[in-house]
Amino acid sequence: MINQNKIDEWIHEVEERPASAALIIQYIANRLSELASREEELAAQNIALISGRKVEDYENRIANLEYQLELLKRQLGGEIILPTEMPTTKPLVAMVEVLVYNPLGQVLRVEFDPDGMTSGQTITQLTSDASLEDMQPNVLVTTSQEELLFLFDSGRTVTLPVSHLPVFRTDNLPWQQAFILELRIKEELAAIIPIARMSLYEACVQASRRGFVKKVKTSILASHITEKYIGTGVKLPADKTCGLTFTSKEDLFVMVSQEGYIFSMQADHLPVAIEEVVHLGITDHIVTAFATGQKPSILFMTQNGKAVYRDTSWLEPASSFKTKGQPLLSKERRESGTRVVGAAAVDDTDWGITLHADGTLIAHKLRDLLAAGSAATGPQIATILSFSSIHMPEVKK
Amino acid sequence: MGLHVGIDFGTSNSGVGIYQNNQVHVLPIDSKNVVPEVVKTILYITTDHKHFIGQEAVELYYKQNINRQRRFVKKWSGEIDYHGADMHYVRDVYVYVDELQPGRLMQFIKTALRSEKYSGTQVFDRFYSLSDIISTYLQALKQRAEALLRDEISGVTLGRPVKFSQVTELDQKAQDTLYQAAMEAGFKRIDFELEPVAAALYYELSLTQPQNVLIFDFGGGTLDLTIMRLGDPHHREVFASGGIGIAGSDFDRAIIQKRMLTHFGKGSVQHDPEILDLINIIPDWAALPELSTPRARVALERAIQSGQAAVRLKALESLIFNDLAFSFYNMVEATKISLSNSGVAVARMKEKDLDIWELYTRVQFEKDIQEHKEQILQVLMETVSASGMEPGQIDAVVKTGGSSNIPTFSELLARIFGPEKVKSSDIFNSVTAGLAIKAGQ
Repeated sequence: MINQNKIDEWIHEVEERPASAALIIQYIANRLSELASREEELAAQNIALISGRKVEDYENRIANLEYQLELLKRQLGGEIILPTEMPTTKPLVAMVEVLVYNPLGQVLRVEFDPDGMTSGQTITQLTSDASLEDMQPNVLVTTSQEELLFLFDSGRTVTLPVSHLPVFRTDNLPWQQAFILELRIKEELAAIIPIARMSLYEACVQASRRGFVKKVKTSILASHITEKYIGTGVKLPADKTCGLTFTSKEDLFVMVSQEGYIFSMQADHLPVAIEEVVHLGITDHIVTAFATGQKPSILFMTQNGKAVYRDTSWLEPASSFKTKGQPLLSKERRESGTRVVGAAAVDDTDWGITLHADGTLIAHKLRDLLAAGSAATGPQIATILSFSSIHMPEVKK
Repeated sequence: MGLHVGIDFGTSNSGVGIYQNNQVHVLPIDSKNVVPEVVKTILYITTDHKHFIGQEAVELYYKQNINRQRRFVKKWSGEIDYHGADMHYVRDVYVYVDELQPGRLMQFIKTALRSEKYSGTQVFDRFYSLSDIISTYLQALKQRAEALLRDEISGVTLGRPVKFSQVTELDQKAQDTLYQAAMEAGFKRIDFELEPVAAALYYELSLTQPQNVLIFDFGGGTLDLTIMRLGDPHHREVFASGGIGIAGSDFDRAIIQKRMLTHFGKGSVQHDPEILDLINIIPDWAALPELSTPRARVALERAIQSGQAAVRLKALESLIFNDLAFSFYNMVEATKISLSNSGVAVARMKEKDLDIWELYTRVQFEKDIQEHKEQILQVLMETVSASGMEPGQIDAVVKTGGSSNIPTFSELLARIFGPEKVKSSDIFNSVTAGLAIKAGQ
């Protein structure tokens, strides 16, 4: 702070050494110029505050933070405000949840204790009047304290804690009794994504069935979710959104197609606008997208139960868009009808759940799956329709 | 038998010299420094107990520490016995330790030699006694010198101030600690020479006839004065020696106390002892880095929220929690140095939440160190008097050491002894060179 004492001291300096005068003027002039430009910046900020633009920005940020706080509260089992029509079951222990859902918005939830689980064990059996294969079911394994984002192909989103979905404790799961999410006209359920840890990631990547992606910052995504709409993420009329993946900048983002073509790229390099990053054949489509994170291996599951392991280093990250993709299957196997039904970044302590065409849901310890090379638990294996993996949670006693 | 070198272990800077083939060589011991013959007396010890000195230490410190993350954990550090008139109980003592601290920077190591209380410090999981710290530094100097000379060094002539302390026991203890450290560093033959005498030996090389010389060795930690008869190597005579523990670092401290503390809330914060304590610790270079505790942050946040001098306390928070202490002291020192060449300088530091701009003149500086200047004048006159000479009988005044460049002291010497008698020796290397001559004899 400049006060009269200091000014007197400067004058004294000039009296002692007149040559200092020019320097003092120069220094003060430089400082004045610096302060003038700073004042201009502050005045601009003040205008933004008075006009309300800044307030709007802050309101949006507050809304996002409140939303993430709510997610964390739910994740940690804290106090939450529940919609009146929803059941108020709050899990006391971290149970493992298997969700089976289809594009019609039907969702079945089954819960099991990871403590008593053995590899190859059948968790439950789905029963249905129609062919299960025709219903295009997907399976998702998660924990009881997760928050789920239901993503529709219209770009609409709905969020619910897992615990709000009705749970079935019987050995048979009848499709007829599935919880039904209300769909709008011409709308399908594209994916269910766990989002409780969303705030730990920097971005999320929306992928479409035809190999288009767009990257969204998680802070922006949170505000989209608050508005219950994140966009379709597609360009072609025949395309549909198929999933969301949370990534950090350094993570390798991976997409795998049904015919076994793999696209991988460092998440930081992915486009913000919707771009076709992998050019798929006319009959092919993306079945899964994920980030490798710290996991050392990738597991690919084919419909006939073959478990294909690859080190993460085996992936050849693409350096441009519209690539053909890195092939996993040989031409012969592809032509003989082998198809990929799921893939995930895993380590050998993880577990996987397979959904078979006969309705059985089977748990596999991936270390055993790696040793056997196949998900077959007997001489015959029903076609695998979907696969999902999970790192078993620590059980809170 | 290996080589014998001279080492000037200074408060701010050090150097290594050798006398070979009738020539003095001051070794370029710090290739990263602007003047390679001078190495900063700075030691940086990393968590895995690797040691770095000089410019390398400074660069690594900046790289690892500025704006780094912190994670404090509460650790049990001991217990205190309370003995009252009718009660006795034991209480545990906990400290907050920053788990993510990558290393520990030490400077002004030599100053600790004159302290009665300082015995050493805990560096991560290991206790370093003062002799351990100094030996670590000397060992690094020795290794660098051996690499340059491509030969083993077994002996050293170490410089020492005329008085480490005014107390005789402490003075002897300081030399014993330095001796111990040199032994631990691997030197087998160790001897000492007074730093001003060493500077005199170097000056003597330029003499053609005997002279009465006052050596004015004014460095970072002490002022050392010696009046000697020089010019005939066979008949050197020391008439008087004197010194005082005032030098460059004290001037830096005076600048901080008188000009910088207002930028961190001094004068604006009232009736808040916790915050005032934080502000008053700023001039203490050893204590400031230790302030970054959760408790200090809570106190600062509370004060900032309450609206008392919010901008200045935010600057204090930035200084403490962004590891800016070292940069801050360097900035103050640089401002002081630039006043040696100009009448005006600007103390400038701009970091996150911290914006110091202080126009500082030589008049202000001289006012701030007036008290020190008077003490120095008194020691100077006492030393001249002890030599039994009048100022007019002294043929030359030789200035050496960084602080001897400060104009007000040059003017003081010129006024007392006459401007034609005041000569500048090699500011940073004359002591090192003189010690090398002594080592070579």
